[in-house]
Amino acid sequence: MGNLITASGFEKAFQYAERFKEGLIVTVLLALFTVIFGFILGIILAIAKMSDFRPFRFLSVDRNGRLRGKGFLLTLSKINPIAFLASCYVEIIRSTPVLVQIMIIYFGLFNKHVIVLPKMMLFGFIRFERFVPGVVALSMNSAAYLCEIIRSGIQSIDGGQSEAARSLGLSKSKTMLHIILPQAVRNILPAIANEFVVIIKESAIAYTIGVPDIMAAVNDVRAATFTIMEPLLIATAIYFCLCFPTSKIIAYFERRMSRGNVR
Amino acid sequence: MEMCADCLISVQNLKKHFNHGEIKALDDVSVDIYKGDVMVVIGPSGSGKSTLLRSLNLTEEPTDGSIIFNGVDITKKKIRNSSGRVVKLNIDKHRQKMGMVFQHFNLFPHKTVLDNMILAPVKVKKMNKAEAKEKALALLKRVGLEDRADAYPIQLSGGQKQRVAIVRALMMEPEVMLFDEPTSALDPEMVGEVLSVMKELANTGMTMVVVTHEMGFAKEVGNRVLFMDEGKILEGGSPEDVFDHPQNARLQDFLSKVL
Repeated sequence: MGNLITASGFEKAFQYAERFKEGLIVTVLLALFTVIFGFILGIILAIAKMSDFRPFRFLSVDRNGRLRGKGFLLTLSKINPIAFLASCYVEIIRSTPVLVQIMIIYFGLFNKHVIVLPKMMLFGFIRFERFVPGVVALSMNSAAYLCEIIRSGIQSIDGGQSEAARSLGLSKSKTMLHIILPQAVRNILPAIANEFVVIIKESAIAYTIGVPDIMAAVNDVRAATFTIMEPLLIATAIYFCLCFPTSKIIAYFERRMSRGNVR
Repeated sequence: MEMCADCLISVQNLKKHFNHGEIKALDDVSVDIYKGDVMVVIGPSGSGKSTLLRSLNLTEEPTDGSIIFNGVDITKKKIRNSSGRVVKLNIDKHRQKMGMVFQHFNLFPHKTVLDNMILAPVKVKKMNKAEAKEKALALLKRVGLEDRADAYPIQLSGGQKQRVAIVRALMMEPEVMLFDEPTSALDPEMVGEVLSVMKELANTGMTMVVVTHEMGFAKEVGNRVLFMDEGKILEGGSPEDVFDHPQNARLQDFLSKVL
């Protein structure tokens, strides 16, 4: 056990500094793309969950044109298939491991029968055909979490805002676009930034499908030099240096923003 | 359904129920509003006066009854257009012609005063931005706030906010202005500045429906006063009739408490 971590081990690992640097860039890019696409998909999911699409709405009114008090038909009239599907998606994603999801996306979607990506290198070291499935899987995962963040952000906006906008003649969608979303996004920015930190950490799982991130660099070093603890400690240091300052910066801005709201 | 030919808004048998009819916020209310009317609605809290006002532009969806605005029943989801075709009623088109002022101002906090005002004209009426700005500045000048055009709502006092809310609604050139307790959330010393803007607006001939507890304003500016209680209009008439010769016992009781 005495020679589990050695100076020579670090020396060997540091010879792969370039590989770690590439891994760092991949991890940051992966997290960045994930949070962007996850946010877009999250908005769509949030709007779907809050939509008022009820194809059987007409069943809520009885033969005399009055609203029903209770009964099966009233329940049926309240069904919103879009919201239901969005909820199913969110709950399934949140109740299954991200490792399983990334495997399903990679082997189930990006195989030679469904979606074939061209084999090419970005910046000379990012394998496009591995990077994209990683982004897709992680985006789909974080979208479920971001959806709930966005939904709470939208619902936290005072109802008077939408009443005022609608009273000026703005349509539902224009109200959402110009009045509700800008305010909601500003409120949830800290939560989204925190999600970014979570994604940086979770993205380590992408190495299992061959995305050349920091963890993949660890694996490469291990295979080449038969050291494991040293590259792992280097990876730990990189992840820490990435996440700790980021979350501290977010906390700082969060404090500043909440101070602004007190007025 | 008889039509009131020269009405701007005709409310017919309007009902608003909550909890499947257990609570009747509006219980068969009918009233005609003519062009140039300054109609003041008074009554105790929970009497349904705000619900009535909010129903006029369907901020509150009525359970039953109709609201005929410019000859169109806006409570219907589908209407027959001029060429006889059945089309979907676009409530946004009608809301543009009804300005609304809220108790809590509801200015958009992420936009400056000017942007609050030009948003709807530019986005909905497709008005030229420069033209809209010019118009906004002229309106701000009218209410003495031309120097606050670039301020954010958070930097304004309550009275200033409400004056901005009024001119924001005026930007759409509405045919009627609806005021939902516009001075109830204000500090007492700011009530006057808002009321004077409203009075000036009434003098220009604007049709107004005002829900308020300001009896002085009702007397001085209103040409019609409605008294509501428990979702019903119990008495209506000129300010002199309602304030000086109240007939209904509950109105007499109400006035004895507020005057």
